[in-house]
Amino acid sequence: MTTRFGLATVALAVAVLTGCGDLSADEVEDLATTFARADDDPGTRCELLASTTLAAVQQDGPCDDVLAELPLGSGDVTAIEVWGEEAQVKLSDDTLFLTRTSDGWRVSAAACTPQGADLPYDCDVEAS
Amino acid sequence: MRRFLFLNGLSLAFGGLFLASLVGQAFAGVADVNDHRLSEGLEPISLARFVTSSSFAVDVMENWQSEYLQFFLYVFATVWLVQLGSAESKEPHKVGRESDEQQSLGKHLRKDSPAWARAGGVRTALFSRSLGVVMGTLFLLTWAASSVAGWSAFNNEQLMGREDPVSWVGYLGQAEFWNRTLQNWQSEMLAVGSMAIFSVYLRQRGSPESKPVGAAHHDTGQTG
Repeated sequence: MTTRFGLATVALAVAVLTGCGDLSADEVEDLATTFARADDDPGTRCELLASTTLAAVQQDGPCDDVLAELPLGSGDVTAIEVWGEEAQVKLSDDTLFLTRTSDGWRVSAAACTPQGADLPYDCDVEAS
Repeated sequence: MRRFLFLNGLSLAFGGLFLASLVGQAFAGVADVNDHRLSEGLEPISLARFVTSSSFAVDVMENWQSEYLQFFLYVFATVWLVQLGSAESKEPHKVGRESDEQQSLGKHLRKDSPAWARAGGVRTALFSRSLGVVMGTLFLLTWAASSVAGWSAFNNEQLMGREDPVSWVGYLGQAEFWNRTLQNWQSEMLAVGSMAIFSVYLRQRGSPESKPVGAAHHDTGQTG
């Protein structure tokens, strides 16, 4: 019992110190899965973009049209990282970045390609 | 009640100043973080969300760990190291753990000596080191907490910058962790060293942290 209490205390301390990151993992996975599976419905994907990301996309034309032309992934979720207000979801064919907004989690960047260790991803969809 | 406040004024005053400073840090911190988030095109966060975030936790913990390190080192170092003329030092001939007579132990116990000083054996041995042990333990705990909170805050920044997060061990190898740690350590060592040498030549009348105003510069270990 003492050991369990100790482990629970350590787990609580880690959760607090890390900003309760993984408690939101389910919400992040649901949003990313919905985004990925809407590969034939760019309108749905537009609704799941963060406002600043949507505004950046719309600078190139109507959101539906712009997203339809981009190489967005539609594969399964293979890994999730949630750290504070930000999250990263790796799909089998893409990497998404999500941010927590007042309306829940939204996609802040998509169609992201790794550029090597310690370098930022190059994303076709992101806030300008 | 007034007598209680009078007799505990030092602890209560600094406890109050600590809480007021912490509240101030929370308000200033959330404003700073939101400036950064808005410049990144992200929504601002609430005060409640900020004070439960890793960003706030690491800012608090990185300072706590260095304060406890300072006192841990000072408590131990002043057993063996002296500074001639300093109010913070004991006299040179008392270097070391001192005799039972000087420490009021064994047959030199007083009527009002604490129970663990009277107990002998392991309990007295532990009690004889309890101040340093507690300070050292608090340092290790807060440093560990600082590393975990810093790791989380670092990964949050990584994701904001569209970079991959790192493992905890990976974070310990990051320049940011050691920059946060060492910038706090250097300031604590400077403060302690300054206090040790300043108290040789400077006075604060009435303060137990100072020698009496009329004490000679070479008088060591006197407090006013």
